[in-house]
Amino acid sequence: MKRYLFIIMGMIYCTAFSAQEKDSVSLHTEIDSLSENQFVMRSTLYGIGYTNILDTYLSPMEYTGVEGRILHERMRMTKLFDGNVSTQSMLQANIAYTENKSATGNEISGLVNWNYGLHYHFKLNEHLRILTGALGEINGGFIYNTRNSNNPAQAKAYINVSASAMAIYKFRIKNIPFQIRYQVNVPFIGVMFSPNYQQSYYEIFTLGNHHGIVNFTSLHNQPSLRQFLTLDIPVSWSTLRIGYVGDFQQSKVNNIRCHTYSNVFMIGFVKNFYLIKNKDKIQKKIPF
Amino acid sequence: MKKQILYILATACLLFSSCIDAEEYNDDPLGNFEALWTIIDEQYCFLDYKAEEYGLDWDEVHERYRKDIVSTMTEKDLFYVLGNMLEELKDGHVNLYSGFDVARYWSWYEDYPKNFSDSIQRIYLGKDYHIASGIKYKVLDDNIGYLYYESFSDAIGDGNLNDMFTELAICKGLIIDIRNNSGGQLTNASKLAARFTNEKILTGYILHKTGPGHSDFSDPYPIYLEPSNDIRWQKPVVVLTNRSAYSATNDFVNTMRQLPLVTIIGDKTGGGSGLPFSSELPNGWSIRFSASPMLDPEMNHLEFGIDPDIYVNMTEEDMKRGKDTIIEYARQFLSQKDLE
Repeated sequence: MKRYLFIIMGMIYCTAFSAQEKDSVSLHTEIDSLSENQFVMRSTLYGIGYTNILDTYLSPMEYTGVEGRILHERMRMTKLFDGNVSTQSMLQANIAYTENKSATGNEISGLVNWNYGLHYHFKLNEHLRILTGALGEINGGFIYNTRNSNNPAQAKAYINVSASAMAIYKFRIKNIPFQIRYQVNVPFIGVMFSPNYQQSYYEIFTLGNHHGIVNFTSLHNQPSLRQFLTLDIPVSWSTLRIGYVGDFQQSKVNNIRCHTYSNVFMIGFVKNFYLIKNKDKIQKKIPF
Repeated sequence: MKKQILYILATACLLFSSCIDAEEYNDDPLGNFEALWTIIDEQYCFLDYKAEEYGLDWDEVHERYRKDIVSTMTEKDLFYVLGNMLEELKDGHVNLYSGFDVARYWSWYEDYPKNFSDSIQRIYLGKDYHIASGIKYKVLDDNIGYLYYESFSDAIGDGNLNDMFTELAICKGLIIDIRNNSGGQLTNASKLAARFTNEKILTGYILHKTGPGHSDFSDPYPIYLEPSNDIRWQKPVVVLTNRSAYSATNDFVNTMRQLPLVTIIGDKTGGGSGLPFSSELPNGWSIRFSASPMLDPEMNHLEFGIDPDIYVNMTEEDMKRGKDTIIEYARQFLSQKDLE
């Protein structure tokens, strides 16, 4: 087992080293002449993890199980504040299949989350930068309890403005460039859909009683947090990103208590590319 | 910068220290007993109403049944005690489901005459009746339409109803037999009822609990019946009821009795006017209970059933002759109406 581990580590080291070589030869000369705001970082990560769900509209019991997640992110510098502000767009989708402690019931849950926001960069030194900013986020999803009668499912729909902070640390090991990044997003004001305590969806949607189903949220009734920790490892053809997502969503609205605690291991690739403006002009000069 | 980092750390600490959880109970006899009692205490919607009706005191029920809980009792003993405790609610919508049994309260029909015989009904239907989704229907010899809707869980579409009413259009009156229909989807019940009104009418109210207190209810929200845009019935109608007409069927009867051309004949309905929700106990047993009461237009509860306009019971003599007293009475009633 150990032998295989050494072989895998060796392969990662070799591919990383070759990527670093390529970086230094082909990119360094070009980067200086390029405008920073036209660089785009795009990554797609896939993950699997463990989740813990509680929604007292469906059951007072916690349900736990496996979660699958996909995360697509796009970051780009802007010209705002002398080029110190970046935009971030992040789309996540997760689905989980869970079971109660007594193994007699199941819940299936899913959530799609989209964030878009701006971060101001504080470049502390050559290696470390701290980013702070705000994100707007939209969430939509469901929890389905497989054995309930008139309360079989709970719809999730909420929007938030979140405070966001990020630390990016670049370092080298044996001249190979690595990057470690931590981000935390905390919603501090928002609006959430929730049925009333014992209100059926029949009453809301068939009879049309919408009173009290849209609620103001803040830290007092929605103390939630999403955090991301990633490590970028250059490989020969791209950059491998491995990471952890801690997604802790909580709310207590209309006397309904909900939480979803997800801890997910993620892996995927990062693609850095450069946006070319006036593409037609350049196209004419390209001989092939 | 330091301030910002401190702020972030403080916020993170605040978040982690404010976990939102539900109250936890142990998976032992006492824990399951307390969990069940609390679910009913906080979520059941008729505690106040039943305290007024027959003196239900849920705290006293706790004290009485708590004495029967011992840590060494078997699962079946616990199920028996919890089932008996739930019977105090006198509600057919309250059930406790375990892997080996279902605790139920069925006295709302078991203690009363059946007033329905499917073998006698078969004589009336014969072999040439039609079936439109879940509805069996035919034209009886005296030119009276007869339809039997056995369960509102059987979906009906507007196309089914159009075909059925086209077939029955020649009839001078219509019998809607919903005896032994123990409920189903409210939307199916109102879809059928919408064929019998030409205007939007108030049929009742719905409430929901807004918190765990016994009296934490929303304002009553009006429920209206809107006329169908398809074929609508314009002649006299009789709805046949018995004690087994329950839940969504009880609601259907409440809706139909608001209409001028409709007469309810038979026995009192079984009731069941609370929309049931589900929950569960630490040991995995599932509990169903009434969560959201529905009222009539005068804001009266319908939990214990609706009286018919005309009480008719099936007689032994008629049954021996293969006659359904309630159907026969309805036929005479509609024929008389036709003569008027």
